[in-house]
Amino acid sequence: MAGTSDWLDIRGWMESIVGWSMDQVHDLLPSSEIGLGPLGSVNLQGEFASIQGALETFLFTTIMCTIVFTTMMLTLMVVPYIERKFIARLMDRLGATTSLRSLWVGEGHTTAGQWWNQLPFGIGAPIGWVNGMLNSSFGNKSKHVAVDRVHNRGYHGIWFLFPGFFQALADFLKFATKEHMVPTKADRLVFETAPVIIIATTIMVYAFIPFGPHIWAANPELSLVFMMAVFGVAPLGVFFAGWSSNNKYTLIGGMRSAAQLTAYEIPLLISVLAIAVISGSFNILEIVDFQIETSNTWNLFIMPLGAALFLITMIAEVERIPFDMPEAEAELVEGWWTEYGGIRWGLMFAVEMMRAYAACILFALFFLGGWQLPFEDTLVGLPYVGILFDLLANATPGLVVLLLKAYLMFAFFVWVRASLHRVRTDQILEFGWRWLLPASMVNLAVAIFLRLEVWDSTAAGGWPIWAVPVLFGSFILAFIVLAIDEDEDALELNRRMYHTQTLEKASPGTHRD
Amino acid sequence: MGKKISAAAQQKAAEELAKAISSIDGVSAELDSRSSGTQVRHTVSATSTPDSWRVLAETLAADHGVDYCSMITGIHWPEAADKTWEVVYHLMRTGVTDPAAIEGVVQPNITDSDALTGADVPMEIQISISLPDTREPMVASVQDIWVGADWNEKETWDLVGIDFEGHEGMRRVLNPHETPVGYHPLQKQHKLRYHGFEEMYDDAQGFMRKPADAGKIK
Amino acid sequence: MGPQHPMTHGLWTLKIKVDGETVVDTEPDLGYIHRGVEKICEARDFTQITTYCDRLCYASANTWSHSYIYAAEDLLGVEVPERAEYIRLIAVELQRIASHLMWLGAYGPDIGNLSIMVWCLREREMMMDLLQELGGSRMHYNFPRIGGVKRDLPHGFSQRAQAKLKLFLNRIQEYEALFDESTVFLVRSQGVGYAKPEEMINHGVSGPNVRAAGVDYDVRWAHPYSVYSELDWQPSVERSSIKGADCYDRYRVRVEEMRMSASMVLQALDKIPGGSETYHEPGDPKIIAKAPSRAPEGTYGSHHFEDSRGESMFYLAGGGEGRGKMPYRVSIRSPMFITIPYAAKCMIGYKVADIPAIMGSFDPCIGETDR
Repeated sequence: MAGTSDWLDIRGWMESIVGWSMDQVHDLLPSSEIGLGPLGSVNLQGEFASIQGALETFLFTTIMCTIVFTTMMLTLMVVPYIERKFIARLMDRLGATTSLRSLWVGEGHTTAGQWWNQLPFGIGAPIGWVNGMLNSSFGNKSKHVAVDRVHNRGYHGIWFLFPGFFQALADFLKFATKEHMVPTKADRLVFETAPVIIIATTIMVYAFIPFGPHIWAANPELSLVFMMAVFGVAPLGVFFAGWSSNNKYTLIGGMRSAAQLTAYEIPLLISVLAIAVISGSFNILEIVDFQIETSNTWNLFIMPLGAALFLITMIAEVERIPFDMPEAEAELVEGWWTEYGGIRWGLMFAVEMMRAYAACILFALFFLGGWQLPFEDTLVGLPYVGILFDLLANATPGLVVLLLKAYLMFAFFVWVRASLHRVRTDQILEFGWRWLLPASMVNLAVAIFLRLEVWDSTAAGGWPIWAVPVLFGSFILAFIVLAIDEDEDALELNRRMYHTQTLEKASPGTHRD
Repeated sequence: MGKKISAAAQQKAAEELAKAISSIDGVSAELDSRSSGTQVRHTVSATSTPDSWRVLAETLAADHGVDYCSMITGIHWPEAADKTWEVVYHLMRTGVTDPAAIEGVVQPNITDSDALTGADVPMEIQISISLPDTREPMVASVQDIWVGADWNEKETWDLVGIDFEGHEGMRRVLNPHETPVGYHPLQKQHKLRYHGFEEMYDDAQGFMRKPADAGKIK
Repeated sequence: MGPQHPMTHGLWTLKIKVDGETVVDTEPDLGYIHRGVEKICEARDFTQITTYCDRLCYASANTWSHSYIYAAEDLLGVEVPERAEYIRLIAVELQRIASHLMWLGAYGPDIGNLSIMVWCLREREMMMDLLQELGGSRMHYNFPRIGGVKRDLPHGFSQRAQAKLKLFLNRIQEYEALFDESTVFLVRSQGVGYAKPEEMINHGVSGPNVRAAGVDYDVRWAHPYSVYSELDWQPSVERSSIKGADCYDRYRVRVEEMRMSASMVLQALDKIPGGSETYHEPGDPKIIAKAPSRAPEGTYGSHHFEDSRGESMFYLAGGGEGRGKMPYRVSIRSPMFITIPYAAKCMIGYKVADIPAIMGSFDPCIGETDR
């Protein structure tokens, strides 16, 4: 599975380093027979030669695991940073959509400088235009000094990107130094085991996720299946944690979590199965290569419904708002992990970040073409500037492109978190079982149909020219149609979107009607 | 300009109500016009004996549309022998009815304040019941007539000590559950620490003083 | 749930009996911050009691001190100058806006939306600034005096208030966009926590909770006081369903009330006698009338007031310590004391996850509940 490649060939380098060093060891060892008296004689070099292959594999795998783990942890630091900064901007600005203006306007109209005017050849002018337009549409219309205090806050100076970057690390170290308390009546064995299950399985997931064409730890043929299986063990740990803490709130949180995560595993797995069907393989690298090399189309455009389903089910799997009932602060304080302190809590929080991060990377791998720059082939094929783009594409390691896509997806997660409310547990379950599961079956059926009937393996691009516009266009059309408010008259009459008399509750309940 | 109940209608309704309930034995009611800033409120103020309280309450609820129990105040007058305990009921007639629905859609009950007359006029009613000196003051409970009286009666018993006959589930609501029996803080024999508050300001250590330290400077 | 719990908006315990996730029975347990205000006030001058009343419901301090002041004026028989009434109305309505903003800022996180908290507190800062100009502090203002107000409107208050309120009226649309147009919010709040109006009245619930059920009852017009009748306003009444008011209705009523209060303040600034630019020194008879300081035994004063959370009332019996300088009895009616048990009853039959939604929609404030 050679597939795509770039210059950051970590695997290759590590392999050659390990091979070279083992060869040096081999050569250093004496080649002559050494007598061991009654035990016979041993040829060290020969013995070493017989285990050299296995030793090299072992060392290489260990090194790759370490590198992948370190890469993951270091790049994970950006994730809480994005969450914090982006949510801060969303919460302290105008309008129901992000206003870029808040990124650089401070109190009393101070700015971090109209930096777009400093860009060469005036290419920053459109940014200034966007800024002006946002100002006039969403900005404070009052210049009155009295309302200065509620102007959008902004950065101060050029270090606006960096303050707070190492906050996550500091938090993590703080948790490492805190006391570990076990509630008196808690089931100690399960209480201690549950975090191990959750943390270990989540880190194991990263063994199969490629960070670039040559940065991955393990790549069995069925890596997708194995990874999703490991990903789905964590709910078990969550349930153990909630139950063993001897706390009715954590028990409720654990039960909710178990129900929710189970309910959303199934549409998730079916969407992933649809991806595998389209790509013709259960191997993640091959799925990415399918998008980059074979079909020249990102799966997002072929299977938009699948992408949407994957996104929604992943948000539910990582227990983010709107699906964070299991740890709803309003009722359950922290939910299933209330009783955990110290490094166990710190690691479980890191694990929640890791799962969200994994979800974003997987989305980027499955649907956004992995480490391919957008429109790479088209841009490279352009007459004169194509050379520049070719240089750019070759110079940028796949890791960077993948990470940018993953962070963008995470920003989308954060955007959803800031905007939506928490859905109630029974509504979450109803949504999962009654809406997402049938939708994912439809998606699977469409995927099978596409692969069997529409896919043309002999043609250059694989997908016929009409496939992407029809599929993606119909999805956008359906989205627009559904997003427009229905029934303006009823809306006006009731000033609400639902008639409460017809709103069906998921369970009968015994309340007075 | 803005919405307001017509003062004349309120006065007339108050007089009617006062006249109607005065006919009950033991009850005497009258119109009570109280000024409130730039407005005048016409209310009904009544006194009742403890025996006729229940009848009065039922009459008010059934015949006069008094549907809201606002507050129940208990006062302890240890100086007066014949009216040591006073219970003041603050009731209101709000004139609220469930809104009508046309074809399943609710039509809000927007009232035309000028057009309200008679028993539709919102009214404040204050009924004062005095009890003579007794160790166990007791008044009939109206918990079943107005549920709003429920927690008010609990609070009155908890703080003042006036018991309510027929009240289900009497318990401490503001004081802790394990408060000693018979301790009702708003009775006058329980003194505030600085009843003469000059003591608090003049004597910085006043709060630590014991009776034996009277007259001493610490 | 409680007493320490992030949802409960204050210090009280709600014991719930659940069957799985369905609430079967509830019992509220109040009194954790019972400070004995009624007893303390028996040893305080009439002017000193105002400060205690601010601290009854700290989120809505002005409405409580005014509630007391009207009752004290009833007891002492004082007539208030009209300009003072207008200033009081401005203070009370600004406080109502601030209280509702705090409610909305706390209600969002209860349901899961964290952004609204920051937005509402940001706007509440504007109201706090205005109230600080009027009263001197951000939370407990001690603003009204028996017979009038402490201070006239500061210089330039009118322009600042108008600018801020106009900005605020624009910002309300953002809140509505975030809530009303979010299907998740509608699914969480519609059909949840039904409360029928007649039942509510019989329970003693009033204010926005009752107006959410389609019923037009407001103390400001039904038992009139102050100069509300001079302004063009309507109580905000919501079209609910026949089953009663649900959380969505109670939310809508308060948003509309915020708009109405803002427009009332703007009108009052226009109509205030003497104009909003003139400034009278503290003690000027135009803003405060001389009031007697003693109330003999046998007199009483009572007043019903439309607080942010319902109908509040003070009953003062005269003839206390200091030959009548202090009241003999101060009795405080807190709307929340009566509403919280009712709200607890409303939760029966719904899910545990609905408890914050229902409780939050009734807008509890424990300071006034426990006194």
